[in-house]
Amino acid sequence: MSDEEHHFESKADAGASKTYPQQAGAIRKSGYIVIKNRPCKVVEVSTSKTGKHGHAKCHFVAIDIFNGKKLEDIVPSSHNCDVPHVNRTDYQLIDISEDGFVSLLTDNGNTKDDLRLPTDDNLLTQIKDGFGEGKDLVVTVMSAMGEEQICALKDIGPKN
Amino acid sequence: MQGFPQSGVPGPGPASDGLAQLQATMHAIEVACTSIQMHINPAAAEATILSLCQSPQPYQACQFILGNSKVPNARFQAAAAIRDAAIREWGFLTADDKRSLISFCLCFFMQHASSPEGYVLAKVSSVAAQLMKRGWLDFTAVEKEAFFNQVHQAILGIHGVDVQFIGVNFLESLVSEFSPSTSSAMGLPREFHEQCRRSLEIDNLKMFYCWARDAALCVANRIIESNSLVPEVKVCNAALRLMLQILNWDFRYNNNSTKTSINVFSAGARHDTDSLKRFECTLVQPGPAWRDILISSGHIGWLLSLYAALRHKFSCEGYWLDCPIAVSARKLIVQFCSLTGTIFLSDNGQMHKHHLLQLLSGILDWIDPPDVVSKLIECGKSESEMLDGCRALLSIANVTTPFVFDQLLKSIRPFGTVTLLSSLMCEVVKVLTITNTEEETWSSVARDILLDTWTALLVPLDSTGGNAMLPPEGISAAGNLFTLIVESELKAAASSALTDDVDSDYLHASVSAMDERLSSYALIARAAIDVTIPLLMKLFSERFSRLNQGRGVIDPTETLEEVYSLLLIAGHVLADEGEGETPIVPYAIQTYFADNIEADKHPVIALSSSIIGFAEQSLDPELRASVFSPRLMEAVVWFLARWSLTYLMHPKEIREGNCDSGHGQAHQLQSLQSREVLLSFFGEHNQGKLVLDIVVRVSITTLMSYPGEKDLQVLTCYRLLHALVQQKHICVHLFPLDSWCNLAHAFANEKSLFLLNTAHQRSLAQTLVRSASGLINSEASNLYVRDLTSHMATYLRELSSMNDLKIAAQQPDIILLVSCMLERLRGAASASEPRTQNAIYELGFSVMNPVLVLLEVYKHESAVVYLLLKFVVAWVNGQIAYLEAHETALVVDFCMRLLQLYSSHNIGKISLSLSSSLLSEAKTEKYKDLRALLQLLSSLCSKDLVDFSSDSIETQGTNISQVVCFGLHIVTPLISLDLLKYPKLCHDYFSLLSHLLEVYPETVAQLNGEAFTHVLGTLDFGLHYQDTEVVDMCLRALKALASYHYTETVCGKTGLGLHIAGLKDPGGNLQEGILSRFLRSLLQLLLFEDYSPDLVSSAADALLPLILCEQGLYQRLGNELIERQANLTLRSRLENALQSLTSANQLSSTLDRINYQRFRKNLNNFLIEVRGFLRTK
Repeated sequence: MSDEEHHFESKADAGASKTYPQQAGAIRKSGYIVIKNRPCKVVEVSTSKTGKHGHAKCHFVAIDIFNGKKLEDIVPSSHNCDVPHVNRTDYQLIDISEDGFVSLLTDNGNTKDDLRLPTDDNLLTQIKDGFGEGKDLVVTVMSAMGEEQICALKDIGPKN
Repeated sequence: MQGFPQSGVPGPGPASDGLAQLQATMHAIEVACTSIQMHINPAAAEATILSLCQSPQPYQACQFILGNSKVPNARFQAAAAIRDAAIREWGFLTADDKRSLISFCLCFFMQHASSPEGYVLAKVSSVAAQLMKRGWLDFTAVEKEAFFNQVHQAILGIHGVDVQFIGVNFLESLVSEFSPSTSSAMGLPREFHEQCRRSLEIDNLKMFYCWARDAALCVANRIIESNSLVPEVKVCNAALRLMLQILNWDFRYNNNSTKTSINVFSAGARHDTDSLKRFECTLVQPGPAWRDILISSGHIGWLLSLYAALRHKFSCEGYWLDCPIAVSARKLIVQFCSLTGTIFLSDNGQMHKHHLLQLLSGILDWIDPPDVVSKLIECGKSESEMLDGCRALLSIANVTTPFVFDQLLKSIRPFGTVTLLSSLMCEVVKVLTITNTEEETWSSVARDILLDTWTALLVPLDSTGGNAMLPPEGISAAGNLFTLIVESELKAAASSALTDDVDSDYLHASVSAMDERLSSYALIARAAIDVTIPLLMKLFSERFSRLNQGRGVIDPTETLEEVYSLLLIAGHVLADEGEGETPIVPYAIQTYFADNIEADKHPVIALSSSIIGFAEQSLDPELRASVFSPRLMEAVVWFLARWSLTYLMHPKEIREGNCDSGHGQAHQLQSLQSREVLLSFFGEHNQGKLVLDIVVRVSITTLMSYPGEKDLQVLTCYRLLHALVQQKHICVHLFPLDSWCNLAHAFANEKSLFLLNTAHQRSLAQTLVRSASGLINSEASNLYVRDLTSHMATYLRELSSMNDLKIAAQQPDIILLVSCMLERLRGAASASEPRTQNAIYELGFSVMNPVLVLLEVYKHESAVVYLLLKFVVAWVNGQIAYLEAHETALVVDFCMRLLQLYSSHNIGKISLSLSSSLLSEAKTEKYKDLRALLQLLSSLCSKDLVDFSSDSIETQGTNISQVVCFGLHIVTPLISLDLLKYPKLCHDYFSLLSHLLEVYPETVAQLNGEAFTHVLGTLDFGLHYQDTEVVDMCLRALKALASYHYTETVCGKTGLGLHIAGLKDPGGNLQEGILSRFLRSLLQLLLFEDYSPDLVSSAADALLPLILCEQGLYQRLGNELIERQANLTLRSRLENALQSLTSANQLSSTLDRINYQRFRKNLNNFLIEVRGFLRTK
């Protein structure tokens, strides 16, 4: 399956480790965290205590950065959490192929052809429409824990 | 929408075809009302009803419906329509029409007084009240008298009980209509409401009161004599309510003298309105004119006996403790307790005292004896009478001194009022201790009222704290009460210790309520300071030894929670909240303990030392692990912060001030010495340095040895450490301490301090930089700051010059470290002061390039971008005023590069995500960034206003206005109208824009066409924003723009030049010029839309120059308006109004102050004249 293939490849080029430990108390809103082995963005942190005279614990509400699902976790605030290594790279969009892949131009002039288009109709239309209008589009590809996805579009248009 | 045929002015009976029309209308409204109730197509039904309200002169139809409809809701809507139409069209109704509308309403509710649909009657009576107010200033005295005669007849009871009741009710709605806080909007300026209120207060209010009293008097006997519920009860209740409402009136004009000069009750009157506001207690001060009816006529005696008679009836059918008439009577009695001011004779308070005593003896049955009352309530009796009794005590406490308060009861009981208050509260506290629930019970309500009463009695009146003392037995009563309170709190603490924490929101609310309660406890404790401090001391040492003995054997949780409570209580008793000022030692503590001239015997010193000694034990790792839980440490840190501000290193100036409180020379001298002992004990030559060292070491411990305890670290960073560096006299002693140097060193090097929440690191950086004010001179300060901050700059510089920065920078650990450094930089930058300015400038200067590099690298990492921007904002804001010309040029250049870089990353960028909450997060992040950028521009802007540099910035060719304008040019394309919906961003944006347009219109005019159009497009958005402040700023901007153009063109210059001329849009159509567009939209707004009346003046200021600039268009618009008006009378009114808008009051075509003023007046008159019918559909 192409899905496994893609897993394999990104593992191969990831030189740095996929996650880093960080003290739960130091993770703030809009930072990243791994919950249930998924990379997430924290949207809410609250603290409480275990019993009145116990130690503090952090309650995280976070959203999976790839599939948008909400996840929650409670961690004693002096313990460590895993923080995902989230990388974002800009590529120029060259083509959208019929079979649901995009063709991207890397900085060093090569092309990257292994990225699938999102399956969500809404996102798909936004990308396709922009491309269809003949604009020069730069896409930002976010990758973390062996997965990647287009996370932003930028129209660099006729001006530059 | 269904239209209605135009019906004429109400006149002689309808013609026969008119009758059919009226019936059709009635039918339509009835159908609409029914369908709303049945929920069938409510939108259409509402539209039908709305069209009745908005149709011109619907009075005949409405009166027909009111008279004939069988559907009560239809009658209700008809009454509402009369109100809406009449208020709108008032300006052009004839005097006869107005009168007949009011009479119609009055007659209607009197004729239908016995109708079962009370809400229709209430509506009609409120419509009558509103119309009467609308015409109040135009009606002659004779006309008003005619109306009131009718009402008076009704209230006298000539036409029966129902009419009497409805008459009193009408007066109630009339009074509430005239009282500013409850009046309805009429689209008129505030002065109108003010004049009405004044007129009613002076001419009618007392008369109404007498009518209500007479009505109550004439039915009271019948009520008392009868053994069952009689219809008169309804009238009596309404009359009592009306009297209460009148006594609630905010009396202003009946006093012959102003409030402050009232001195009739010199022994007891209190003038401290500030402290009164805290208890939300209103004083009733109707002035001497009311003396005869309220005081001298035996009115209060009658009221008390009425209530006493009612009490006997509570066993009868139809009466009970909470029946409406009993409630109203009690409320009125309580209200009488607040009576004060010139209504009493200047007889040294005798008359007032007599009045209060009379009330108190009536109330006594409700609350005395306290134990019996409380038992009855626990057995199921209603608590409302007892609570009203407590409220009465509160009201009395608010108008008397403690001495007078206490004496009141002495004349009829063997003990004073304070003793009664104390035993009442003891009972309440006992019940509270037993029930012990979080829910609101009668006992917690009673406790809060009684605590307010104590606060009213005990709160110091002025800064010297000289409140009249309680009498000796009052003091001992307070002491007993405090003992009981502490017992109860400790018991509550112990029993709650093991429960898990509840919802944190709820906790916050209860914490602030707790704080308020503790301040009241502290006042009680300070009233009996000689027993309460030793009591606290005893309780503390018991618990400390229990903790020590039971270590490792017994679960300490309950004791920990008790110590926690005790620390909070002791903190409140010993010291006041600083609230930004330097708190002084509480007066009670300064003056008592006169016998304790030796330090080791002074109870306050003993208590403080023992708590500090306890705190010091937390430094020991073993004890810390077994005893000092994070929550206990929170209380310790909180106590140390509060205590240090008052007692630590007390400066001499304050110590020697305010010692004039006269209690006899010898005593005064002694108490001075005792105070001297207390303050010098914790001063620099005694234990001060030692204690300060302990405090600093405790704070290092909480920061380093309690990882992840955010609440504790918040308190340490924001309360304790801020308290230390906020005061120079403490600051100077910090540097010689090793512990302080350790803290500074750990800050730069200790890994554990990089694990603190980043916001706390910022605060720590700020604190450490600010402490430089304790160093001897500017060189030393700058050196210290450079040392302290060098690690931040070095790190950022090294990172930004790394070869594989792009890859390394994305690692979570690097991101965390960068965030820490940026927050620290921001903290340091925000602590910039003149003496450290140099070092901070160099610090920022050295990271300028790294900042730009990092902005590029982290362009997708919004959290880091925001920190970068906030650092720059804080740095520029702190520096800009001091910079020399060449430095300014560098900083300005840097800011512009930053703006351009940010803009190039973000313009045209669309975030894609499956999660809507991530998308909205992204939007919020963008909003925060933009707000920071606007703040940056505002800071730059301020250079033109505040500049301490030695030469003019112009020497380097920097023109601030151009710079800011250019910045705005970069930023505005990023601000979409969608983002402007964030209120704070909107506010910041428009305040910057209006500032720019007001101060530098010529620079804005130089923007290119597209940018200019965008800027003004946002202005159009702002004009229709819901926040009046924003609209006001837009109007000011508009005024600036138009008046600039006008004055320029008058002198023959180009002004806004090309922007004024119409542009061709891409389709080739000619678009209107900018000022024309605004003239059009402003007129549209003023004439046809809803807005706050407060905006009319600013709108006038903007409209005048717009009209002068675009006279041709203005004429055209005016003509269009006139031609659209089909009705000939209205058309000529409109013509005249437009004519006088531009010509009345000798308006000329200049833009000076006087002319603006004249135009404001004209516009106000114009709007009142025409808006009514222009807005009619």
